[in-house]
Amino acid sequence: MTGRLNALALTVTTVVVASAVLLGGCSGATSASSEATSADSYKVGAILSLTGTYAALGSSEKNALELEVTRINAAGGVNGRRIELIIEDDGTDEAKAVAAASKLLSQDEVIAILGASGTGQSMAIRSEIDRAGVPQISMAGGTVITSTFDRLVFQTPWSNSLVVPYVLDRIAADGYTKLAVISDSGGYGKDGNAIIVAEAPKKGIQIVSRQTFNPGDTDFSAQLTKVKSSDAQAVLLWTAGKEGASIVKSASELGVSLPQYGGSGQAKVEFPAGAGPAADGFVFGTGRSLVASNWPADSEQYGVIRDFSRRYSTAYGQDPDIFAGHAYDAIAILVDGLKRAGSGTDPAALRDAIEKTSALPGFGGAFTFSPTDHNGLTADDLALYRVGEGTWERVR
Amino acid sequence: MSEFLQFVFAGLKSGAIYSLIALGFTVVFAATGAINFAQGEFFMLGGMIGVWLIQLGVPLPAAVVLSVTLTSVIAAVFEILAIRPIADGDPLRIIMVTIGGSIVIRQMALHVFGPDEMPLASFTAGPSFMIAGAAIERQTVWIWGITALTVAALFYLYRRTTMGQAMTATSLQRDAARLVGIDTRWMVTASFALAGALGAVAGLAVAPLTQTAFDVGAGIGVKGFAAAILGGLGNPVAAVGGGLVLGLLESMTAGYLNPLYKDAVALVVLLGVLFVRPQGLFGGSRREKV
Repeated sequence: MTGRLNALALTVTTVVVASAVLLGGCSGATSASSEATSADSYKVGAILSLTGTYAALGSSEKNALELEVTRINAAGGVNGRRIELIIEDDGTDEAKAVAAASKLLSQDEVIAILGASGTGQSMAIRSEIDRAGVPQISMAGGTVITSTFDRLVFQTPWSNSLVVPYVLDRIAADGYTKLAVISDSGGYGKDGNAIIVAEAPKKGIQIVSRQTFNPGDTDFSAQLTKVKSSDAQAVLLWTAGKEGASIVKSASELGVSLPQYGGSGQAKVEFPAGAGPAADGFVFGTGRSLVASNWPADSEQYGVIRDFSRRYSTAYGQDPDIFAGHAYDAIAILVDGLKRAGSGTDPAALRDAIEKTSALPGFGGAFTFSPTDHNGLTADDLALYRVGEGTWERVR
Repeated sequence: MSEFLQFVFAGLKSGAIYSLIALGFTVVFAATGAINFAQGEFFMLGGMIGVWLIQLGVPLPAAVVLSVTLTSVIAAVFEILAIRPIADGDPLRIIMVTIGGSIVIRQMALHVFGPDEMPLASFTAGPSFMIAGAAIERQTVWIWGITALTVAALFYLYRRTTMGQAMTATSLQRDAARLVGIDTRWMVTASFALAGALGAVAGLAVAPLTQTAFDVGAGIGVKGFAAAILGGLGNPVAAVGGGLVLGLLESMTAGYLNPLYKDAVALVVLLGVLFVRPQGLFGGSRREKV
């Protein structure tokens, strides 16, 4: 008796088990940041990517949300009610995001959902949102979130349709007309890729190489080799995942010495830290607010960012990144809406109030929503940065 | 031509890592007749512990030794706690336990190290080597060297040491091995420790290229498993061959078809081999023992 499996049994177990390992993954960690459920509270759900390729985004967002909710509750809440925040991890996975939304809406009966962190996850929960009629404030940058319009869905970051043309303008101004694009096959990369392809010809830029990769990939030799053998003069990287750092590092090691550009996905400390010296000279476009002093010292924006930064760094020992800022905006928009919606807990009234948000000074800019614009930011809120020695500085 | 060569180098780079993971599967399969689906987690642990030690200021060589040793110990403890109580049981039960174990190990790593990716500098800094227009990263040379050394050490262990021969004897005929005085239970523990070390070496070698995180184990586990099946389960030489062939197949698919299909290659290979040639590419015709 050797205990070996015969071939058929092995085949069957292999298939079952391989799919279990692939699909099973890890279970989502759930945390509720408040104590007992109280009748006098607003229940708010948040769907964040605390694990997976967007973990860096989700953990900043969680920090910001918890910081703000604690502060608001300590000051007596909103309309005399506490905010009860229920955070769910979607593991950067669309199916888990849907499960989280379904749980928050039917079990916890939240009045609003903040999130998700990612574009794909934000879009995936839309049918749940529509069914429940509850407003959603997404913290993801894909334009599709608000361009595929839904009266319930709002968005806090500078979306791709603002940032892509802004970065392309810079590439054209730098004198490059032949561009290689590397983007991920997830929601944010796909969204950005489509806008790049549509906008580049308008700026006189020809896309000579289009490369994609899957979130979670670890080797990019094939894509970079093809970029290298194309006649591209510059590379535009469009992704928000952790793969960005590996791609830039790998590009330098494989001898791809072209100037590189990117977007908000690179505006996190993990990017220069992961890529090391290979990221030096990388130029990305994102919000002005990445550096508070980009705003005039007497502006409302500057006050908001400085105040938030001070509280955030006191609590967590590091400066907030833009993703923390997007979460700050989500909760600020929600609170502003709640104040105007009156003291009830009707999601429909809350939605209507949020849509009337006007000139609300936030981290990303001054938010003004309308029945046709649920993003409310403009290209004036953007800036370009160049990476150097593990950090970045603004490029004029 | 330089493009093709670059794809070959990329394939052999991933392939070497798959080989090490496949060897881990093979070692445990030889001792227990079961597939250890926690193998990918040993890969993750090796990388995470190593990077963590380096961030604490431990020099690289010491961090490598410590991380491989620690992972090996964790693998052995896992075997003693979870596998040993059912060691003589159905391989299917052992497989299920290893799947559960992999989830436990992953969640523990999440709580200890956090969810963020951890970067690691290349073992030696400097420009890549260029051969006919194709680049070989310095870390890739390290990966090849480490894989070659590890495979050589494994063969030495199996062929030349008493312990290795005892492990071989256990895998061939467990009852006979027990009769001649070999403690077959400890041989199973030793096989897990060895598999842990193999996974840890791979996880460390590749960390500078890919960064590492608590959740990298499952993906690489499937790749290594496919490599082991492709080569022929239970045969160390075949595991290495299977790993290299899988790496090349993936790289060529990414290069000449579409990079998005790369991950599907391993699964297609896995199913194809199991249906068409269950003994693997390099496995001889295997007698079934019923």
